Amino acid sequence: MPAVQETIDQVRGIDIDQYKYGFETVIEVDKAPKGLSEDIVRFISAKKNEPEWMLEWRLDAYKRWLTMEEPTWARVEYPKIDFNDIYYYAAPKNVTGPSSLEEVDPELLKVYEKLGIPLKEQEILAGVEKPRVAVDAVFDSVSVVTTFKKELQKAGVIFMSISEAIREHPELIKQYLGSVVPTTDNYYATLNAAVFTDGSFVFVPKGVRCPMELSTYFRINEKNTGQFERTLIIAEEGAYVSYLEGCTAPQRDENQLHAAVVELVALDDAEIKYSTVQNWYPGDAQGKGGIYNFVTKRGDCRGARSKISWTQVETGSAITWKYPSCILRGDDSRGEFYSIAVSNGHQQIDSGTKMIHLGKNTSSRIISKGISAGVSQNTYRGQVSVNRRADNARNFTNCDSLLIGDKCGAHTVPYIDVKNASAQIEHEATTSKVSDDQKFYAMQRGIPEEEAVALIVNGFVKDVIQQLPMEFAVEAQKLISISLEGSVG
Amino acid sequence: MNMQTTPRLTAAETALVEAFGAQIGELPGNGAVIGTRDRLLDDLKKAGLPTRRIESWHYTDLKTLLRAIPDAVPSAVIDPLSPIVEGSAVLSVLDGIADIKATADGIELSLFKEKLADGSALAGLTALDKDDAIGRINGSFVRDGFALVVPAGAEIAEPVELQALHGAGQIHTRFPASFGARSKATIIERHRAVMEGAAFVSSISDIALEDGAEITWIILQQQGAADTHLGQIRAKLGTNAKLRLFVVNAGGKLVRQELRIDVQGEGAELTLRGVNLLGGDTHTDVTLVLGHNVPHTNSTEIIRNVVFDKANGVFQGMIRVAPDAQKTDAKMACNTLLLSDDGGFSVKPELEIFADDVICGHGATVSDIDRNHLFYLMARGVPENKARAMLVNAFVAEIVEELEDEKLVEALEGVISAWLEKHA
Repeated sequence: MPAVQETIDQVRGIDIDQYKYGFETVIEVDKAPKGLSEDIVRFISAKKNEPEWMLEWRLDAYKRWLTMEEPTWARVEYPKIDFNDIYYYAAPKNVTGPSSLEEVDPELLKVYEKLGIPLKEQEILAGVEKPRVAVDAVFDSVSVVTTFKKELQKAGVIFMSISEAIREHPELIKQYLGSVVPTTDNYYATLNAAVFTDGSFVFVPKGVRCPMELSTYFRINEKNTGQFERTLIIAEEGAYVSYLEGCTAPQRDENQLHAAVVELVALDDAEIKYSTVQNWYPGDAQGKGGIYNFVTKRGDCRGARSKISWTQVETGSAITWKYPSCILRGDDSRGEFYSIAVSNGHQQIDSGTKMIHLGKNTSSRIISKGISAGVSQNTYRGQVSVNRRADNARNFTNCDSLLIGDKCGAHTVPYIDVKNASAQIEHEATTSKVSDDQKFYAMQRGIPEEEAVALIVNGFVKDVIQQLPMEFAVEAQKLISISLEGSVG
Repeated sequence: MNMQTTPRLTAAETALVEAFGAQIGELPGNGAVIGTRDRLLDDLKKAGLPTRRIESWHYTDLKTLLRAIPDAVPSAVIDPLSPIVEGSAVLSVLDGIADIKATADGIELSLFKEKLADGSALAGLTALDKDDAIGRINGSFVRDGFALVVPAGAEIAEPVELQALHGAGQIHTRFPASFGARSKATIIERHRAVMEGAAFVSSISDIALEDGAEITWIILQQQGAADTHLGQIRAKLGTNAKLRLFVVNAGGKLVRQELRIDVQGEGAELTLRGVNLLGGDTHTDVTLVLGHNVPHTNSTEIIRNVVFDKANGVFQGMIRVAPDAQKTDAKMACNTLLLSDDGGFSVKPELEIFADDVICGHGATVSDIDRNHLFYLMARGVPENKARAMLVNAFVAEIVEELEDEKLVEALEGVISAWLEKHA
């Protein structure tokens, strides 16, 4: 079956009200009492068997959070979140910590199988080696399993849940945790610092090229539960790692909160490639339910000639508030940001990036494609700043928006601050609709309207799709088509 | 420690409040106008001068940047200058007071202070939104200006120069102008310091273009190196109206030019061109808020900036396309030559689009002079400093040439060359 036909079939089968990953799994859980207090912070820390210094770190953040105000500058509207009406900790019972696959609840394994996430370490079949991906699966508040740990260890790569890392590698955690996104950074990052429950930790030592793609799969299952995960990736001198992140949640009438923090550190000559396919439940066609996604992601190109690249495909969530950024501190460092943000139904997206040029000869590139349909609002918000000492900084920004339907909105809010004369900054943005000419051209050759639009949209996002690892690219393309279902005609 | 109920006022805020108290007795206006002035000042006092926390003032923190307000001084004797375009009718406003003898052929002219006195200016004395500090300051303090009415179908052949000259002190002027259907005119709004000493200037021009009017409006700001200039243009475009708006900033220490434009009639077209020549330690901010409110309207905006010395420049350009404003075509570009490591430029071109069948785009660049261009000229024997000057001149002159009218182009190029000679 040709790829396009396959996509179309998939699109037909599923409309916006039928979120593919909306199933709920009944699993016995261990929950903290509802609400947020110092006791809850202590409870989470105790559940994780954390050392005293970690608890102190969390409590500091909690105290700071109490003094902070929820930011209101983004173009998103939502009823006030009652932070005391959320469960801050929910873990499947019988998970004492990620260990071997055999110990994991078979119900849980079924969930991931349904989601199409390979948790079984794949064998070499008939002499053909398939591309392998190591997965850290996070279910509600805890990491349930991390695959390929042993093999990665052989290469010197540490890949484990962050709770484990706090216990096993305290020196690395102490050195790097909060060094890119400090606990004082912003409202949601501070909240995350106080109550984060799990996440992934990656450490790639000097000179090592990580032998396989690393991946984390997040799933929110429980009702009224917030997910607060924290990811920390460190690439030492000359190291390379590619990391993928995926997320889904069941279909529910109420809104759920997801406030994650991701920190990346690249030392001299290191490279980190971080790809996200975000497919949280977006709510139904009437805008009921869906995930509130408030995420702080930041990469620090700390070393000379280091490189950090963010690629994101945002199709889910009722609200997305997310600005993966690069601090280009090292000389000759490079930051990249590729983004596709698709909004349909009542979704609201306010997303973009920041490129902070501090070192000399730094360069950055931003390609952002926003697609809005239905009655959604889609905002690109980005900043490029060139410090007074950042000689020869170079930036290219391109953000395009595509509108499908006359009830949606597409907005572009770039901030450009240049304080060095040797900088070369280019920014361009366009907004248009799927042109009638393009559609006519495709349709008069016998391609039905919906397929024609899918074709044009795929062409529109091609630049970004190309940046994704192969397996993700296929998934992303399908997701985009599904997200736009019902928006034509 | 006592909790303060009102935030503490800065020196400049206090000076404004005190100046209002001292001047209110002599400011023109009937009871309703005075009441409105009171209310606007009260709002200003409550909100304070805007800070960077207010999005539309993000890059111009007026509370910090406006350190003091120069004392009001009695009017000095100022002689009008000859107009920048020969043959123009000159309507001079000297030290904030309009010339009562001024006339311009084909234009119904009245003094703004009379409109304040009889209350007919009341409707315009408003702040456009809660962050409109310029509207509040000007509404509280405005003393005079000219009100222009161009009758329907009138074609005013020669340009009209609104010549606002001043010395030190506080100057608040206003220029309401309405252009009847199918009328044509060219207005040059020129602000210039002619004496030493710091001045605090606010000026608002309210421009209404009725159906089919074709108007060129040029703002030439040449304030002194110690002056604060808070300018605002409010423009409304009717069906098939065409407004060409040129803004040239070539002076001032703290400058904010707000352009608030509503395109309200189908087929209307806005052409905005801006040249910002920034030197010394000026902070100059040009902020555009453009609403495409109905279907089938066009706009193009090109802003060119040159930054020398310790100057800081800002361009914020917001284009808002209303939900039914289909077939809007809006293009905006902001190009900056940053020629000094001590200077800086910030750009925020914003698009807010609620209709799908539109073509909107913006581009922004910041860079030094292209080395290849420099090489091209130097290889032909042009010395480096001269080559640089030529390239800078060409960069901004290109914009001015779009005016087509030879006399206008010549006049503005003269202003630009003179400025570049002094600063480059």
